[in-house]
Amino acid sequence: MGLKEVIAADVVGATPLLDLADREKGYLQLRPGHVTELLGIPGTGLTRLGLRLLAGHSQTTPVVALDTRGWISPAAAWETGVVPESLVIVRCNDPGLWPKVAAALLEGVNALYAEVPAGAREQDLRRLAALARARKAAVAMRPMSNRGLPSGVAHLRLRALGVTWEGADRGHGRLGRRRLMLEASGKGASGMTRRFEVEDEGTDVVRVVSDVVVGEARRAVG
Amino acid sequence: MWSLGRPDAPLDDPVLIVGERVSAASEEVLEAGVSLGMPRREAEALAPFATVLVRDPGEESRRFEPVVETIEDLVPRVEVVAPGLIFVPIAGAVRFYGGEEVLAERVAKELDRMVGQERGGQALVGVADGPFAARWAAAGAEVGRPLVVGDTIDFLSRLDLAALREDLDAEELIDTFRWLGVSTLGDLARLPRDALATRFGNPGLLAHRLAAGDDRFVDPREIPPDLAVDADFEEPLESLDAVAFASRALAERLLRGLRGSGAAPHRVSILAEDAAGGSRERIWRSADPFTEKALSDRVWWQLRAWVESGGIPGGVSRIRIAPADLSDEGRQLGLLKDESSRIEAERALARAQALLGPDGVLQGRVQGGRLPGERVSWSRWGEPPPDQERDGDAPWPGATPAPSPALVPPEPRPLEVEWEGGMPTRVRLGTRWEPVLTWSGPWRLGGRWWVGEEDADRYQLVTSVGAFLCVVTRGRAFLAGVYD
Repeated sequence: MGLKEVIAADVVGATPLLDLADREKGYLQLRPGHVTELLGIPGTGLTRLGLRLLAGHSQTTPVVALDTRGWISPAAAWETGVVPESLVIVRCNDPGLWPKVAAALLEGVNALYAEVPAGAREQDLRRLAALARARKAAVAMRPMSNRGLPSGVAHLRLRALGVTWEGADRGHGRLGRRRLMLEASGKGASGMTRRFEVEDEGTDVVRVVSDVVVGEARRAVG
Repeated sequence: MWSLGRPDAPLDDPVLIVGERVSAASEEVLEAGVSLGMPRREAEALAPFATVLVRDPGEESRRFEPVVETIEDLVPRVEVVAPGLIFVPIAGAVRFYGGEEVLAERVAKELDRMVGQERGGQALVGVADGPFAARWAAAGAEVGRPLVVGDTIDFLSRLDLAALREDLDAEELIDTFRWLGVSTLGDLARLPRDALATRFGNPGLLAHRLAAGDDRFVDPREIPPDLAVDADFEEPLESLDAVAFASRALAERLLRGLRGSGAAPHRVSILAEDAAGGSRERIWRSADPFTEKALSDRVWWQLRAWVESGGIPGGVSRIRIAPADLSDEGRQLGLLKDESSRIEAERALARAQALLGPDGVLQGRVQGGRLPGERVSWSRWGEPPPDQERDGDAPWPGATPAPSPALVPPEPRPLEVEWEGGMPTRVRLGTRWEPVLTWSGPWRLGGRWWVGEEDADRYQLVTSVGAFLCVVTRGRAFLAGVYD
């Protein structure tokens, strides 16, 4: 077997790609007792993705979005399948109060999407992650600074690499489908860094498109 | 109140009784800094010399059962809160015995005869208006000398705020009250209830009710007759395992049935029949609505106590659980299938509300509108939604199409956009200008001219760092949403 054939098998071989797709779909589910970090600048689609992650939980239990800017719109959450009556928006723009409010919520809420204010203290974040583990709460955290969460807080980090939109064309059409390029890393990604694409139809349909992106294999220590 | 003994405790050594937290301790242990309710690990660290015994509520119920039966012989409809604590409504019995003091002394005298190593001792009896005041009257009584409170409000007003701890489970709220200079229930009762409700939400309201002698309120609901659940056993159950399994299944069935009607039980009646057709009935009460675990635990403790004390000769042939008090405490109960997680979530949200104020915890509801911000009707969590300003079911021609922006500023914000020949070319984001890669629009938005609103144009602008919804009116652009 020549080198060319080996590379082709790695990239388009059916079995490995199916496994990869299943794993990447798994990245888009909040796991009880774990923190998932959504890292990226505003505009990369992570708020909508974070709200989408609450949809499954909202079928059976109240879910909360902790909003530090007062801008989160429940309409986007409803479009992604979150049950309207189950979604509660908690607005906290005081960074000093934020850890207390987040801890109070984690004490009783099973699924939480939390914006993390810039300057949140490392020890507070570690305590909150420990509380999420103890309470088996499913948590998505969205740091408002580019630094991200301290290492060890998040079980899985999803970093937005970019977003492309379809539907609008120099005055015609309207925004429709978007594609988010994400990079998964951390324990939840088995210590590997993988890139994959997510298609968001603007409804409750979110598809993982594994076969257009080759997973990056890097060395991991840990 | 009855202090339960532990026959297995060493007579001369200090003892610490624990579950997850400390439930009892001997004097030396308390002197070492341990307090009731303290986490187990902390207590063990403070009193390493103490013998640690793990709490067994089932066994405690068994030993407490003769005490309950003794009181039940004097006054019917005893309500058990936990092993060691019961409430007895005495309105009828007072007339029969000729006064509250006579009755309380009679109860205390009967209980004195029950004291023993197996069952424990030291009965404290208090009489007051409502369970909360009666519990603290009992705490203030002496052994053999019941405390009959004449003026409940005056009695409560002298109690320290810590008295609220058991019923409220809101340590932070109590600390906040202290910080505000409120140290007794009387201080708290003098504050306006509306102001407390506005600032601290439901826990503040409840604290004020307790402090003012109104006690924990249960909104009574009519109980449909078919809500009780029962199970008949052709072969009477004699093994405790079989009784435990049956009681758990019945408790789950009861709560499942109640959930369908959006109600939660605060008091339940547990009835068991023996093989000969005799029956025993007991009422258990809880300050919070029973969860499945809490209810099945209590049913199991009660049945175990009856079976082990020989009160069910020949085995259990029938079990019946019926709700005695129901409340509407479940908001959106119909939609939330998991009752216990709903209650926990509500407590958590109430705590967040106490920290942030009532406007910090919100719920949105769908309404009609053309801009994303108009399509959400906001209300404070826990309050009834306001009447819809705009009919959500009506057609809204010209509404901004889905997907909706995930971030919508409370008011449209000025946005700097550069135009060339009527087409957007650059948008200023923070300190830098981003080129507009593509866009859609303009879509005309007819303003309500009769209230002085201008017409506007909407654009969806796509840049390399995201897409934005922009509204242009009178030549000025405003940010109406971010497609984040």
